[in-house]
Amino acid sequence: MIKVKLKCFSQVKYALGSNQLVFELEDGTSTDDLENIIRKKAEGKLDDVTLGIAINKKYIFNNTKLSDGDEIAFIPPVQGG
Amino acid sequence: MYPMIITPKELKQWYDNGKRFTVLDMRPKNQIEEFPLIDLRHTIGTPDSIDKLKGDKVLVCQFGIITEGMIIENNLNNTYSLLGGVQAWNEYLSKKNDLSRWSRQTILNEIGIKGQKKIMEAKVAIVGMGGLGCPAAQSLITAGIGFLKIIDGDTIALSNLHRQHLYNLENLGKKKVDVAKQALEKLSNHAIIDKQDLFLKRRNGRQLLNGVDVIIDATDNIATRQLIDYFSKEMNIPMIYGSLYRFEGQVGIFNVEGAKGYSDLFPKNLSGGKTCDDAGVLGMLPSIIGNIQALETLKIITDLKPNLVGRLLIYDGLNHITEIIEL
Repeated sequence: MIKVKLKCFSQVKYALGSNQLVFELEDGTSTDDLENIIRKKAEGKLDDVTLGIAINKKYIFNNTKLSDGDEIAFIPPVQGG
Repeated sequence: MYPMIITPKELKQWYDNGKRFTVLDMRPKNQIEEFPLIDLRHTIGTPDSIDKLKGDKVLVCQFGIITEGMIIENNLNNTYSLLGGVQAWNEYLSKKNDLSRWSRQTILNEIGIKGQKKIMEAKVAIVGMGGLGCPAAQSLITAGIGFLKIIDGDTIALSNLHRQHLYNLENLGKKKVDVAKQALEKLSNHAIIDKQDLFLKRRNGRQLLNGVDVIIDATDNIATRQLIDYFSKEMNIPMIYGSLYRFEGQVGIFNVEGAKGYSDLFPKNLSGGKTCDDAGVLGMLPSIIGNIQALETLKIITDLKPNLVGRLLIYDGLNHITEIIEL
């Protein structure tokens, strides 16, 4: 098992009701897997929201395997101005 | 008592008109030797000597700040502080360029006279004159930007006023760019403000953005952000992205020095929730984010680093958490 910290911003924060969560995940879990977990947990509130992903403050562009202790941020595009 | 201030231009007029006054250079000897005062008859002053002299006196220091303090502390009468000090005077004498108004930012080593000149020669476009565009425009104009193109086809609504501080109750229903231009011109007697009463579209983008050095994305929708990103890439002009959601804001600099663009971050069929009108926003948030966009614009113009090139700043105003993501 691995433990990762999720930092939540914008719509993700409101959908999950917290700005920080810790997840215990099976070894081999990837960013795509975690995104699916998050979307399920949000119960539809993120269905129409695209999510960018960063691991340890570095934006990633491809599905990436998570490691124990990683800090993940899901970054939705926001549009207010 | 507020210290009496004289600008380099006014002092030169005194000099040319034959007015009688005494200029006292109050700087330490090493500074006087390193940065001599050009073409201004003066004597070396000491704090004790000021009161003994009759008539009008002008005190000079390197940046015009120490002498202002001397006048206040000693309650000196008939005594003026040269705004911007020797730095501003020498620039005025050699280039006929009175930069004393910006003395509080030219005193910064990172800006200086050289940076101020870059600012004054810079051409910036702001797309969207709403919550982000208003503070960005105000800060850039007062910082000395030489040319500002403001682009927005919208009119002013009552619900705009809590966050769009260039507009007031008398302006409801009027065109944003008309009112903004008038308000901004009151803040500046040097800048050219080009108002464009229309929305950025694929058909007009190239023409609208042609010739500017920086594009500020102050829009309120993803489609226009994608369009700005497209033109920014195509025309090789940095895009200063800013966006809001409730208590949060994002800022980044895209498409410069090989940095990623907006479409690289969010490449899919993008959807991102609500606008300020739908989701709500506190008025302070756009002021903070719009000013960060203005700050990053000045940094790009003056080559000041570190900056947000290739990085995305996320600010949470509720918890005061700032996160910077490397792109």
